[in-house]
Amino acid sequence: MAHREPRRLSRRQFAFLGTQAVGAVVTLLLGIPIVGFILSPLFHRQQAVWRQVGDISGVPDRQPTKFEVSFPLDEWTNANVNLAVYVVKINSNYLVFSNVCTHMQCPVRWQSDLGQFLCPCHGGLYDITGTNIGGPPPKPLPQYVHRIDGTTLFIQNSFTESI
Amino acid sequence: MNALAVIGPALHRLAGELPSTAPQGRNIVAAQIAIGSLFSLHILIAGLVSGAAELGPAIEFLGYMRQRRNYDRLAHGLGRFITLYFSVSSTIAILLVTVLLVGYWGHFWTTIVTIGWWPLFIEAWTFVLQVTLAYIWYYTWDPLRGFKGVHMAIGGLLAIASFLQVYMIDVIASYMLTPTNPQNPIRLVLNPTSYPLTVHRTVGNLAYVGFVIGAFCAIRFLRAKKPEDKVFYDWAGSFGVLWGISLTLLQPVVGYSYAKEIQLHAYGSWYKMMYGTLSPLFLWQITLLGIMFLTATLYFARRLRTNGARGAGLLKAMAVGLVLTILLAAQPYHLGLTYDAVAGAGLNRPFWEGGLINPLGSMIPWKVLALMFYTLIAIAAVVWYLRGLPGVVWGAARRGEQRLLMLLAVLTIFMMVTMGFIRENSRAPFLITGEMTIQGQQNIEPTPTPQSGP
Amino acid sequence: MGRIAAVYDWLDERAAIRSLVRKGLYEAVPVRGAWFYTLGSATLVLILLQLVTGIFLTLVYVPSVTEGWASLNYLKQHDAFGSIVRGIHLWSAYILLFVIGLHMVRTFFSGSYKRPRELNWVTGVGLFILVLVMAITGAFLPWDQAAYWTAVVVTNVPSYTPFIGSFIRALWRGGDFVGPITLTRTFGIHVWLVPAILFPLILAHLALLRKHGEFGSYINYRGAYRRREGVDVPPAPAQRPIEPPYPAVPTDELWAAPLETEDFFPFQTFKDGLVSVVLVIVVFLLAVAIGAPLEPIADPSTTSYTPVPEWFFLPLDELLLLVPQQLIPLVLVLPAGGVLLLLALPFIDRGPERNPFERPAVMVPGAFAVLFVVILTLLGSGRLFNL
Repeated sequence: MAHREPRRLSRRQFAFLGTQAVGAVVTLLLGIPIVGFILSPLFHRQQAVWRQVGDISGVPDRQPTKFEVSFPLDEWTNANVNLAVYVVKINSNYLVFSNVCTHMQCPVRWQSDLGQFLCPCHGGLYDITGTNIGGPPPKPLPQYVHRIDGTTLFIQNSFTESI
Repeated sequence: MNALAVIGPALHRLAGELPSTAPQGRNIVAAQIAIGSLFSLHILIAGLVSGAAELGPAIEFLGYMRQRRNYDRLAHGLGRFITLYFSVSSTIAILLVTVLLVGYWGHFWTTIVTIGWWPLFIEAWTFVLQVTLAYIWYYTWDPLRGFKGVHMAIGGLLAIASFLQVYMIDVIASYMLTPTNPQNPIRLVLNPTSYPLTVHRTVGNLAYVGFVIGAFCAIRFLRAKKPEDKVFYDWAGSFGVLWGISLTLLQPVVGYSYAKEIQLHAYGSWYKMMYGTLSPLFLWQITLLGIMFLTATLYFARRLRTNGARGAGLLKAMAVGLVLTILLAAQPYHLGLTYDAVAGAGLNRPFWEGGLINPLGSMIPWKVLALMFYTLIAIAAVVWYLRGLPGVVWGAARRGEQRLLMLLAVLTIFMMVTMGFIRENSRAPFLITGEMTIQGQQNIEPTPTPQSGP
Repeated sequence: MGRIAAVYDWLDERAAIRSLVRKGLYEAVPVRGAWFYTLGSATLVLILLQLVTGIFLTLVYVPSVTEGWASLNYLKQHDAFGSIVRGIHLWSAYILLFVIGLHMVRTFFSGSYKRPRELNWVTGVGLFILVLVMAITGAFLPWDQAAYWTAVVVTNVPSYTPFIGSFIRALWRGGDFVGPITLTRTFGIHVWLVPAILFPLILAHLALLRKHGEFGSYINYRGAYRRREGVDVPPAPAQRPIEPPYPAVPTDELWAAPLETEDFFPFQTFKDGLVSVVLVIVVFLLAVAIGAPLEPIADPSTTSYTPVPEWFFLPLDELLLLVPQQLIPLVLVLPAGGVLLLLALPFIDRGPERNPFERPAVMVPGAFAVLFVVILTLLGSGRLFNL
């Protein structure tokens, strides 16, 4: 085009910019709520609650004993979830373990013939103090935040160290 | 399993008939030396035969697809090898089984045959198939030249029979290390180490025959007079090494997985290999593996440089990388016999403080990294050599490359003997882990002979 | 003019169906090796089967941590036909993953990703990833023990990414632990989000195929009959007239247009149909004979259950078993690196040669990658039998 009329150009340009602006507005209007919604779990963590485990006076020395505790699952459902607790007494000191492996979070179990906690997924091993002694787990067996009132154990559904 | 009900007791009665002079004391050592050396010899030849029976048909197929005559000539040579040497290894095997194993380890042998009856039965028939097919495959080469499809099908069946044979004997061998419930045939065959061992051995046999082809052709090249023979042997040596290295670089992965299963199911053996009396030998093995890769990379670099093909420089750099990796892999964890012994003697300190521990080598993850680098560098070397191959003039190799090929075959034989030694001794004193020991051979009361007479 | 022809003309004037039908049905495809080219349409048929059975499953399934298992359990106990639909959905998924792998290996071997078909390959890799995502997310939904622990382990894998790992895990799980939000998010991803990307991508993949024509494999082209020293080469067949979509004036004389072609309908459609129907029958038989198992409802407090991965997850799980704890991020790097290499393949291997036996520098690493995955799967297969 050798000779253009300025008027025609600016109309095209105007329409072009207008389309872009409309697109940007729609993207923002849609995008901000959607992205905010997707990211919301990062900001709104569920509160940890306390629950009673039970009487731990009968737990024998150096023998992990399993308890099951019911916790609320989430804030918008009435359902509960059972969590497993291993209580270990070593010389009047109590360790309160969960059954969550620190490798891939598979369910760990106490193997009395081995004298160790074993994770069946990839062969991870923890000793009776929860230290990771074999296989791929990178951290010791997690403990629940807990308190002992007399002989009754209470735990929170959160770990002392995040995994 | 009715056959078992009959054969089992019969074999046990046979065990009772054997002389009660089962070996004791020094005789155990003599028996171990005799059986060990014969088994090593058997495996060195049988591994070649199995590998040739699998690789030969593959080479013939490739040659057919690429329409190249020298592939056919190489496959034909492998067929000739099988027909010549099959009987040697099977004679040794029969001698081993019928005389030495039954004589020295009679109780063990009858037990294992009772447990693994069906795998051994299938294996016997795969031997029949292998021999028949090998001879047919070799002797119908020229008559079936116009019917290549049929001929290759025969070769394919031979390869399958050979693989099945290795699989079945590995079921028995792996059962000895990690026994499971013998009543369930699926668990017998799928015992924890049977898959890793079969894959490891199959790949190893194929790699072994590749390296031996390399060395054999190197020797023939140096002696050849006719130019077309020189061209053929030069090409065939390179081809053999390419196959050998390509397959060997799979071994670290499979071997690592094999060791993991041993750790989970035969902890005593694993401890002995990784931390105990056999750990120096295991260290030697990982070093030897690195030296094998290094030799092959040097061969690739030299062969390309001989004809001025591109790529030799990068291969030399890879060789340097391999040397560094070997140094990483070869670091000992400790130099004592057992960690407990070292700790008990108060020597679990770094060696510069008078102890027996090399703290630089104390982290097993570094050895895994070294294995991964071996594999990655070897893949890169193979690919780079393949890229440079169009610039190579076959028949114009120098002596240096051929000597490297011969060295490579020698290293492979060292490797196989080392691994056999490690395997058998890691399980000692058990013949079947947790169930039967070598010493247990002579503690068996012979069953009383049945009262004969009217 | 018969009545059908009159209807046809009426439709053609309004919807131009004559040219549509000609383009769609009577396009030229290569002749030799046609049975191998059926794998692509077999993949499509299985994906469509998944779509249909999946839609009908949403008529009964509830994405809730309590109702989800209960609804499927009710289906299993009281609805034989519904159980078969669920069984088809499961077994078709397993076989789909296998067939899509075969399709990728076939196109890799035949060099069908080379110019001008690079985008076809790239969209294909994208489809492969999306199908894998569908398989994994679908595995969470029943919320039985197998599904729950699969969810726990799979959502935990990205947590080993440096810096952002725990954020990714929290995003997917809806918090620190697997719970109701995990299930609803995964359900949305599985039923809406991924299919919304998957099906347009399938259309793009098919449109690209139609644009350039089915490549086939090297035996269909003049390039396979080049004379080379030391090689016995059979004589090349005569070139038949070149039909669209193959270019009439080929830029690459050796590999642009096949020597012989035939019509897509009915020759290739017959082969495609036969392979697809055999696969669908196999799926149906497996669905009736074995069906889709449903384990007891998810129980995080278990100390006796051994989680077993889905078969297509076995290579990754075996890596998790083998790799020591200091090197766990490697387990993420290897699959990610593999996917990147796959995507970059047409741009790494740019040479015109299509014969797989004549390009060992590409085939050898490719064969290793396939062998590596197969061996890892085999090594982990013992866990499927709970040994």
